Amino acid sequence: MENPYKQTGQALHRRAQEIRKKICVMNAAAKSGHTGGDMSEADILAALYFHVMRYEVKADTTVQWLDQFILSKGHGVGGLYACFAELGWLEDRELLTYLKDDSRLPGHPVRQKLPNWVTVNTGGLGHGLPIAAGLAMAKQRHSAGGGDTTGRVFVLTGDGELEEGSNWEAAMSAAHFELSNLVVIVDRNRLQLADFTHNIMDLEPLDDKFKAFGFEVHDVNGNEADQIWKLIESLDTQNGKPKALIANTIKGRGVSFMENVPAWHHKFPDEDQLKQALRELEDA
Amino acid sequence: MREYGDLRDGAVGAIERLTDAGQDIIVMVADSTSTSKIGAFMKSYPNRVVNVGIAEQNMVGMAAGLALGGHTVFTANAAPFLVGRANEQVKNDICYSATNVKMLGLNAGVAYGPLASTHHAIDDISVMSGFGNVQIFAPCDAVETGQVIEYAASFDGPVYIRLDNAQFPIVHDAQYQFKAGRPDVLIEGKSVVVIALGSVVGEALDACEALKSEDGIEPTLVNLSSLRPLDHDALAAIIERHDAVVTVEEHSLHGGIGATVAVLLARRRLSNSLTMLGISEGEFAHYGTRKGIRKHYQIDAAGIAQTVRTISAS
Repeated sequence: MENPYKQTGQALHRRAQEIRKKICVMNAAAKSGHTGGDMSEADILAALYFHVMRYEVKADTTVQWLDQFILSKGHGVGGLYACFAELGWLEDRELLTYLKDDSRLPGHPVRQKLPNWVTVNTGGLGHGLPIAAGLAMAKQRHSAGGGDTTGRVFVLTGDGELEEGSNWEAAMSAAHFELSNLVVIVDRNRLQLADFTHNIMDLEPLDDKFKAFGFEVHDVNGNEADQIWKLIESLDTQNGKPKALIANTIKGRGVSFMENVPAWHHKFPDEDQLKQALRELEDA
Repeated sequence: MREYGDLRDGAVGAIERLTDAGQDIIVMVADSTSTSKIGAFMKSYPNRVVNVGIAEQNMVGMAAGLALGGHTVFTANAAPFLVGRANEQVKNDICYSATNVKMLGLNAGVAYGPLASTHHAIDDISVMSGFGNVQIFAPCDAVETGQVIEYAASFDGPVYIRLDNAQFPIVHDAQYQFKAGRPDVLIEGKSVVVIALGSVVGEALDACEALKSEDGIEPTLVNLSSLRPLDHDALAAIIERHDAVVTVEEHSLHGGIGATVAVLLARRRLSNSLTMLGISEGEFAHYGTRKGIRKHYQIDAAGIAQTVRTISAS
């Protein structure tokens, strides 16, 4: 099984930019959302869904997954919904129901609402990595038992989220159980709700922390989709080591007035800001 | 002469039988191999027990992940650390996400007696009841435990099963058939119905026997092993045949079976008197031997018998 798109270069970059445009439209309509974190992760989602992950979409848009994705930073769900829309699984007009009554698009992903596309319900922080470790173990057991190629599990965490201790319980386990098919991608935008991460709780040296826990660690520009898929394709997912990709990103990436501004963690664009944002994203 | 058994033997035996029969089961422990008595199963299926060390949050999260990957997963660790330490993982990763995980709450209540309140779980039923999607059971003997495990393994979704480390009297014979939702009537009596939770069913049984032989009082005894689902009509029908209700639980009176019965009485406008025996609300359970703690809260055979005597005399 392969990724159905395998897109690269400008085509893949446009996917990320289209995801960003949808995020801005969606959050402006909802007058809410976690815009900054949605924007920082767009290239990572584009790389995963339009190049890396191996899956097959059935005629009814249900999906058979070989690789799977868990959004541990569940508040970044706007990016995920926008990505689903870019994949054609959601219509753009449904994105306008984000956070509204009876919508299938609540403020954190709910698998009962979007069965099969959402792996697990996240939102509380520090949950994704343990779940991903369990799922990676299941995939290893499946292939060891004579199943197909070992599926990989990609889990996207925020960086502030790594302050939760449960991540490090899971990290210890992932190395101990040699979950080499587990890839944690840290959306390292250096901002959390209250302020820059280094002002709240310094995570550095983050790469050494993961290394000390037994991970193979790589740094990557998390806002360059090509660099992300190239790095992931170079990984040896049989070498006994779980992988940590520290994806250096910019919160609010792609829109000048959002970039690196703490307030955009939870801000949404007004009418004028939306126009400007869409213009910037179209041109870049 | 009564036979006694360990609920964990009933549980582990059933897990092994189900695995023998081909069900794809994984048991997760958090350094709790002895607590869970999982040794025999581990011997038969070494690759089906995953020990994550002393890390309950990770145990529960990984259990959810393994379930998402198609396995039927049992977690087996001490109830206080499951419902306390891993509370949000239980809520989100298992209950809310409706993953196929069966949580065994070992040594619940005050099973750890003298180890005091860090190790007591007198809130597990209350906490679990607050979550959606999860079915909740508290079997009273090893026979019933095996059947609850079999039921839980056949049900696709989250289950919590309250277990213990003590020897409890076997009150069910091989003919017994556990049915989710059904209040299990152990003794058909009159006037007073005693409704007991799991670990104190044996105490209630002793109380009923003493009352019969010493006082000529014959209360009905209900083993309320299926807390969710619960057939409220069936329970109300039992209660309606009696004047007074006594609930007995090694659990806080907040959110336990006493509270469940109180709500049922109120909703159905039933006028039975209700006496709730359990750990007083707003308290941590007393420190001491389990026997001593049970005596203090009148949830031992003597306390239950005395309560029924007083009610019967009034």
